[in-house]
Amino acid sequence: MSQTRKEPIKNGKLWIVFGVLLALITPWYFPSSFGDILIYGIPLWAIIIIAASLLLSAFLSYVIKFHWHMEEEQEEAESKGAK
Amino acid sequence: MDLAFSGWSGILILLMYGLIMLSVGLITYLKNRNIHQSLEEYYLGGRGLGVMVLFFTFFATQYSGNTVIGYPPSAYRQGFEYLVSVPFFIMIIMAYLLFAPRLYTLGKKYSLITPAQWFEKRFKSKPVTILASLLMLYGLGNYLLEQFVAIGQGVSGLTGGTIPYQVGVIFFVVIMLIYGWLGGMRSVAYTDTMQGIALLFGVFMLLLGSIIYFGGLPTSADYMQAYSPEKLGIPDGPGVVNWFSLLVLIGIGAAVYPHAIQRIFSAKSELTLKRSFSRMAWMPFVTAGVVFLIGIIGINAFPGLSEGDSEQLVGMMASSVASQNAIFYWAMVLLFGGVIAAIVSTADSVLLTFSSIISNDLYGSYINPDASQYKKLLVGKLVGVLAVAILILIAWFPPATLYQIFVLKFELLIQIAPGLIIGLYWNRLHSKAVFAGMVAGTLVASLMSIFDLSLLGFASGLWGLLLNCGICVSGSYIMTASVVEEEEAKQVIGM
Repeated sequence: MSQTRKEPIKNGKLWIVFGVLLALITPWYFPSSFGDILIYGIPLWAIIIIAASLLLSAFLSYVIKFHWHMEEEQEEAESKGAK
Repeated sequence: MDLAFSGWSGILILLMYGLIMLSVGLITYLKNRNIHQSLEEYYLGGRGLGVMVLFFTFFATQYSGNTVIGYPPSAYRQGFEYLVSVPFFIMIIMAYLLFAPRLYTLGKKYSLITPAQWFEKRFKSKPVTILASLLMLYGLGNYLLEQFVAIGQGVSGLTGGTIPYQVGVIFFVVIMLIYGWLGGMRSVAYTDTMQGIALLFGVFMLLLGSIIYFGGLPTSADYMQAYSPEKLGIPDGPGVVNWFSLLVLIGIGAAVYPHAIQRIFSAKSELTLKRSFSRMAWMPFVTAGVVFLIGIIGINAFPGLSEGDSEQLVGMMASSVASQNAIFYWAMVLLFGGVIAAIVSTADSVLLTFSSIISNDLYGSYINPDASQYKKLLVGKLVGVLAVAILILIAWFPPATLYQIFVLKFELLIQIAPGLIIGLYWNRLHSKAVFAGMVAGTLVASLMSIFDLSLLGFASGLWGLLLNCGICVSGSYIMTASVVEEEEAKQVIGM
């Protein structure tokens, strides 16, 4: 066996963060004034949703890169060698 | 659709796209002559797709011509509430994290070719595998039907009716069949790449043109503030429920599309798969985000359209942009050709998965398991062609009654998710519970859709899915898998 195997689904902490992000990308928490404030033609609440979506994408990239490691080292080396 | 740039230039660009697709098929065929002897080579590109090609082929399963033509009208009508289309595409990648890491590893370990084969491996139950296969075939068939109708409408729109609907469908379907037949997954993935790039370029040019000629977001926001402030407002209670149910349903639903699952098996390595997913996580901003903005700009550009007229919004905006100068003219021609090509590329992926389930799971496992791989492949391809012929007939002569049964797809495809995903992690999951769950979930989701019933504002597919999950879990506790079965499942999962 190689180094420790990492599977995202088994890491509860990641899913707590995903839960928080899911809550942030749903527009339930805005005071109604956020619909009136416009920044370059975009309502403030929509800007916050977009920012939260960017955070979700960033967190997904992080999890994919650092918390997903199922293959054994040998196979990875093989595939690198092939190309 | 009435387009300013329809006519000969449309015909020219369609011929060009068709020719490129055919060449891709031919080159792939000449370079990989051995692929017709092996299911793995033909259906999975020999499990050798690299980051770029894998990325675009995933891209083509998620974004179709419909994203470009259908999403801006929704943004036009709903305003900023339709911003949900950006995060729901990101959710698909989150849903992949629930099963793709393990499924990729198992796919490699057991040389899996189709999602149905995982069911066979895991549950060793003929009824479960056959039911899952049939659900997928049915859902995929309807999916194909929808694409064919869209190809026909697109072609006749782009060529200003010069090329009738039927000729358009036949032209592209024949091309699709030829390059699919010649090169299998490799052809499909390479053409996906070409079509993806054309579509991205076209959409960006449309956004750019719209901003230049109609004014950007601030102009549109001024208009909304004056005439339809609700389009800028925060979604209300039911709006939030709808938003959330879209996030969950689309996230899980699009991730378990059979052709999307099959692409996991095609990856060259785990690293390749990870990199493709990582890129996909950022794509919603430049795809769904851009088409959303086009719809919002449309609110100011073409105010007061009725619901039916607003469906033509992209055509109207592209026509105005195209009439400004030659660069935009050709960019718009390229965009609409790209839209049609993107629909073809969604159809080809679906057809390939359809054939693979016939080759590998129905014919190859149950009807004639001793057949050579060459023969299994041939049967899958021929049944695929036959299915296409039948679907084209249905598209031309739509049955007067029961038309709804040809619309069900998402509701059915999503019913394989519980068996597939829970089965990856839970050794006790019982095959009979999975079978019962799939049947019940399918019935509930289909009947609710056919009779147009709704409950608490959630989509019918979601109710079917909930029931399905409930039966899978409670049924497994009641029936309790024998120690032997549980041990076997543990062996198969092996981690």
